[in-house]
Amino acid sequence: MIEQDDQLKEFYWYIDILQNVDVGLAVLDKDYNIQLWNGFMENHSGQHPNSTKDKNLFELFPEIDEARFRSKAESVFLLQSSAFSSWEQRPYLFKFKTYRPITCTAPHMYQNTTIIPLVSTTGEVNHICVIVYDVTEEAMYKLGQENTAALSA
Amino acid sequence: MSTPVLICDDSNMARKQCARSLPDGWPVDVSFATNGQEGVDAIKEGKAELLLLDLNMPVMDGYEVLEAIRAQDLETMVVVISGDIQPEARSRVRQLGAIDFIKKPVDKDKLTSMLLEYGIIDAELLANNEQQVVEPQVVKEKPSKPLELNKSESDNSIKELDPQLRDCLQEISNVAMGQAGDMLARLLKVFVELPIPNVNLIEVSELCMAFASVEDFDETSGVCQGFIGSGISGEALLILNDSSFGDMAALLNYKGQLDDSAELEVLMDISNILVGAYLKGLAEQLDLHFSRGAPVVLGQHCDVSQLLETNNQAWQRTLAIELSYAIEDYPIKCDLLLFFTEDSIPHLAHHASYLLDD
Repeated sequence: MIEQDDQLKEFYWYIDILQNVDVGLAVLDKDYNIQLWNGFMENHSGQHPNSTKDKNLFELFPEIDEARFRSKAESVFLLQSSAFSSWEQRPYLFKFKTYRPITCTAPHMYQNTTIIPLVSTTGEVNHICVIVYDVTEEAMYKLGQENTAALSA
Repeated sequence: MSTPVLICDDSNMARKQCARSLPDGWPVDVSFATNGQEGVDAIKEGKAELLLLDLNMPVMDGYEVLEAIRAQDLETMVVVISGDIQPEARSRVRQLGAIDFIKKPVDKDKLTSMLLEYGIIDAELLANNEQQVVEPQVVKEKPSKPLELNKSESDNSIKELDPQLRDCLQEISNVAMGQAGDMLARLLKVFVELPIPNVNLIEVSELCMAFASVEDFDETSGVCQGFIGSGISGEALLILNDSSFGDMAALLNYKGQLDDSAELEVLMDISNILVGAYLKGLAEQLDLHFSRGAPVVLGQHCDVSQLLETNNQAWQRTLAIELSYAIEDYPIKCDLLLFFTEDSIPHLAHHASYLLDD
């Protein structure tokens, strides 16, 4: 009984942490309908989980290049192995504001994204999770360096 | 009367694994061949009523063996056992006269049911023999010694790779690269040519040269991705010839201008597939789990030699696994290099030892 209580307690901790971690998490089904939307996604997109639940990703976020995202996600469903996309390749997946709207010069949040397969108990992948990392600081630093190099050349 | 069975595979580990997968209670006389030429010679000596044949071998590969059997009208039944699991490979060996195809690592139940299906073994006989516990007459090889790393006394570093570990890693890589090649083949709808993986311990200076070649020749581009788990860490480096981009993009159905950013997408997609599938195959066989970091583009966006300079002191040598994929009928060449840190080697050896245990 105590063991079960402990497990339950841990489970709630996990939920709390996922809700508050400074990384975006979104679970999608095979039709690209949103199934889970954590605090980061809610706060940065301004969309409440209730308003995103079962909604189509591409309809809610027209800035996403549907064909490219699909081909990437399809490979995750097929291979059951993660796919990565870096800000250098595509500055962002979701067009979010930066964390520091006043002192940061970036026009938007730069993002690295990873798509991971969620394997069901029967071994199939019917859902994927999109993980969004805010890499604005790193991008601004690198872009700044490149600018300096270009100026001094 | 025992049936002469020949196992033809260049990997010692694979030969043993295959011999262990033969049905219990089947009186057999097993012999081994380490390449296609030895295999053909052994068939001529009548050692192969059944031939279990690998495809990927030095000197003479499995396809050539099948051709030789047909051309010289040799009497043997061939079951191909291979890590190359592309549907095309399967149909090619059948066309060349193999009765069936089993993927590596061999599943004992699958092999048994296949042999039953083709009437090569008899269920009743098997059941009877099993009760009597017939010792299979496997030609005894030298008992394998536990994996030992040759350490020099002074600096505690690993100078040489144990041949057994090398063989094991080569065979595991062979299977993992077969899985990755299969994914690539499905995605691009082509036939992927798989060579034998190269496993070596290399010095940091040699690695610098490898990296420098990516940097110097602007006709290649590279992506690297770190991985870590269970005490094992390293990086996967994918190098693609720039001349391959056009064909690759066409195969991937890219529309529009093939500019720098489109080439980057192609590179990233290919590396996702090959690195992802290879690491998954490796991890599954060794019963590990790896986390992968985000991939970093080399050669296009950062100064590689600088990157190495800052890190030069930290390590001396690395375990490198080299895989080159080529695509049939296209001038596409793509190299996948896996580098494991020196301190990963004992952990790799530990996990590999479970596979080598008899």
